[in-house]
Amino acid sequence: MSALLSCTGLSMHFGGLTALDSLDLEVREGELLGLVGPNGSGKTTLFNVVTGIYRPSAGKIFLAGEDITAKPPQEVYRRGIARTFQRSRLCLDLSIFDNIMIGNHKTLQLGFIHNIIRRKAFRAEYESCMEKAAALLRALNPDLLDRVMKPVGDLNMMDRRRVEICRALVSRPRLLFLDEPSAGMTHDETRQLMDEIISMDTGGQKLSLVLIEHEMEVIRRITTRCVVLNFGRKLCEGDYESVIADPQVQEAYLGRELE
Amino acid sequence: MRRMAVFFSGPAGCVFLALIILGWSNFFLRAEEQFPILVYMLLVVFLGFVANLLHLDDSFRASVAGHERLWDLCLIIVMAALIWLFREDHYNLFLLGSIMAYSIAVLGLNVQLGYAGVINFSCASFFGIGSYTAALLMTRAGIPPLPGLVAGGVVAALIGCVLLLPVLRTSGHYAALVTMAFALLLRVFLDVSEWFGGPQGITVQPMSLFGLDFSRNIVFGETELSFYLKYDAAFLLLLCLAFSLVRRVERSWIGLALDAVRSDETASACFGVNIMRWKITAFTLGNFLSGTAGAMYAMMLAYISPANFTFADSLLFLSILLLGGIGNIRGVLLATVFVVLIPEKFQVIQEYRYLIYSALVLLMIVFRPMGLLPRRPRVYSGGRA
Amino acid sequence: MDLILQFCMNGLMLGMMYALVAVGFTLFFGVLDVIVFSHGDTVMIGSFAGLAMYWWLGSYYPELAVFWMTLWVLLAAVAVVALLGMLTADAMIVPLRKGPPLNTLLATMMLGTVLRESIRLFFPDGSNPQTFPGLLPDWSWQSGNLNLRFDNIVLFCSGACIIALVHLVINRTRLGMAIRAVAQDEEAAQLMGVNFRFIVLATFALGSSVAAFAGVMNGMYYNEINFGVGLLLGAIGFSSAVIGGLGNVYGAILGGFIFAFLQTIGVVVMPFASAYKDVFAFGAVILLMAWRPTGLIAEPASKRV
Repeated sequence: MSALLSCTGLSMHFGGLTALDSLDLEVREGELLGLVGPNGSGKTTLFNVVTGIYRPSAGKIFLAGEDITAKPPQEVYRRGIARTFQRSRLCLDLSIFDNIMIGNHKTLQLGFIHNIIRRKAFRAEYESCMEKAAALLRALNPDLLDRVMKPVGDLNMMDRRRVEICRALVSRPRLLFLDEPSAGMTHDETRQLMDEIISMDTGGQKLSLVLIEHEMEVIRRITTRCVVLNFGRKLCEGDYESVIADPQVQEAYLGRELE
Repeated sequence: MRRMAVFFSGPAGCVFLALIILGWSNFFLRAEEQFPILVYMLLVVFLGFVANLLHLDDSFRASVAGHERLWDLCLIIVMAALIWLFREDHYNLFLLGSIMAYSIAVLGLNVQLGYAGVINFSCASFFGIGSYTAALLMTRAGIPPLPGLVAGGVVAALIGCVLLLPVLRTSGHYAALVTMAFALLLRVFLDVSEWFGGPQGITVQPMSLFGLDFSRNIVFGETELSFYLKYDAAFLLLLCLAFSLVRRVERSWIGLALDAVRSDETASACFGVNIMRWKITAFTLGNFLSGTAGAMYAMMLAYISPANFTFADSLLFLSILLLGGIGNIRGVLLATVFVVLIPEKFQVIQEYRYLIYSALVLLMIVFRPMGLLPRRPRVYSGGRA
Repeated sequence: MDLILQFCMNGLMLGMMYALVAVGFTLFFGVLDVIVFSHGDTVMIGSFAGLAMYWWLGSYYPELAVFWMTLWVLLAAVAVVALLGMLTADAMIVPLRKGPPLNTLLATMMLGTVLRESIRLFFPDGSNPQTFPGLLPDWSWQSGNLNLRFDNIVLFCSGACIIALVHLVINRTRLGMAIRAVAQDEEAAQLMGVNFRFIVLATFALGSSVAAFAGVMNGMYYNEINFGVGLLLGAIGFSSAVIGGLGNVYGAILGGFIFAFLQTIGVVVMPFASAYKDVFAFGAVILLMAWRPTGLIAEPASKRV
């Protein structure tokens, strides 16, 4: 398997704080990678740096061999990385459909003539987009189909997560970043949601996924490989069992035993 | 009871509502004594109360949402009918024209603030830039009125572009300050500049189209129709164009992108929304609309001065937007009607009108921040509920 | 040379006034993250309250010594304005905080209009400019083109004292510590036992008192007050606070002097067009904002994702 995403020597400093410390990381094609580590170990910062929200202090990022270091978020998205946010960041006053379409931005035709004057062509495009959104919602929660034109703010947490995942998936990304999808949800809900995601038909294309998660159960069930971060550095990597057994990881999570 | 609700949620609701609006406006505009005017104003509150009591308000809402074409047509007919009813009445025709001019400007502000969330405290300045551009181009450069009208909008948009750099780089309160500083700057500038006519202002040449001079009364045998009739007709056309433009913007991917920029810049950027592009689009389009409205308004006024375009006027535009329900273009039109009409007709409050406006808006912000008619989620094609 | 000195004097005087107004803006922004645009009109209310007190004293105690007269005028201004400030905060700004910040800004603008219009409509002959008493002796010292007025020096020095006092309150007292704590992290401060409501009220009382002083100073400097001055003063105070970087008291003071400097420069550089001084100053503010979008003394901005 070739590397879809590779980061080399990635560092991110905020003033005196080092959030990422020359990190090397690789995500392979079709892989389900779990990213774990204690709070403040730099997981979310890594997402933010890769997706272009922050400009890294040092290091390089390559997506399928192309350099995407310090590219603006729009550019990174266009090359095929989509993400969700730790604290759900939907536009609450917009409808479910609107929110999903924001994720579909790269395929939408944004020309003035198309949108304002040639309404017939626009309407045709709208219908096909609606199909697309409906297909996604049907896979995750068919109940949402009836409320597709209702504001997201009325939904419960789990449905909001679902909409967020639809928003990330609608553009058929090559690589999906999920930032703690279980936050604010119960165990059962999380499990259900993750099963839904994995079983989702992504149109023949194999989805690569990076998952930040504190629920180790979720990590065990889903991921094929894990990377453990601590203080912005990679502590170890491997499959779930080997990572869990690593004394360094135990130390990072549980602290050192008193001598 | 139920049958009535069903009846009014069909097309009949639109027609009925339109007739009520027409009747009320006719009597309200004709009333001159203060007491009947007060009665008419209370009547609105009373009618709203009765509709609410009979649960008819939902029916009307459904009717309007379900028969959009019909409703639009009804409103245009109501407006045209009003213009025709007052064909000989300078004052009322002028009022109707002002309402429409303000509506267009507020529609522009709605694109900026309601959709894209770009703060603009200088809406009246762009309105004024449109006015002055048209006036100066016509008097000093001898440009014909129609290009003058377009130039008003274009120059307002261009001057807006000068402000773009600070407006785009800043956000929140800092952006508010930039536009506010611009509003004050422009006001002082117009006041002290000799070339722009100073505090006394300048006269504006009238609109004329295909040899039709807008400043002359139309003489029809015995009857003489007010020249404002022509301005009102032109304004009605402009308003329809502006309204359908803004609505099409809202119901398109452009509107979606603008909304995305407003509600969460960072998240939107992660999905490829080009923040700069949409902010620029919204700001420029809004200023163009304000400027065009200003140019036409100046021609109707025939005489403009810096006092017409103060910071207080910008606040007035913002208040209209907030009163109507930010982002809801129908609500905005409704609010414009009330805000322009009531102090003009209800002269008792004329002196106190700024006090009353501001107190009203203040209460509105505290108790009903979404406005009279809160915005509803977007539908991409109207007519179908 | 004398002329330049004279301009400097006038500029410093103006700067002091603006700084006093801007301090309020930045204090309020610090604790509540809102811009209280009506603050400019609060200043105007301060001078009118002082004037009303002066009239009242003049008709009941005409023989009162100037010193006591001044003190009472100041006291009346401070009392009225501090009450007004606390009322504004408690009844309007704190309840509005959950909504979008623009709503608060607009609401305070509306409040400013309400205050302005109330003075215009309900103060006796309020729509016309009112003569404000000089109160201080009009000694002056003339040298060439330079005219040093005693009262101006007194005003300037007391303004400086007020600023020093604010500095002391904020940095040396428990109250100041609590204000700074709330400004930095409201929730954490509350968890540490700071009474949030009390601190908000105290901050508004403090900022408004400073504004009241600025109002009286404004009146004594120009010998005339006008109901409409609040809008421009508000805009200038807001500009000054923003130039300096919102939330930073020293930034606000610096901003106030910068704005006065800009206006003075406008007059000095373009004597042929001194009417354009505000155009120049506001234009410079816009350029400054384009250059430093979060003010000169900017807080390090970080996006929380």
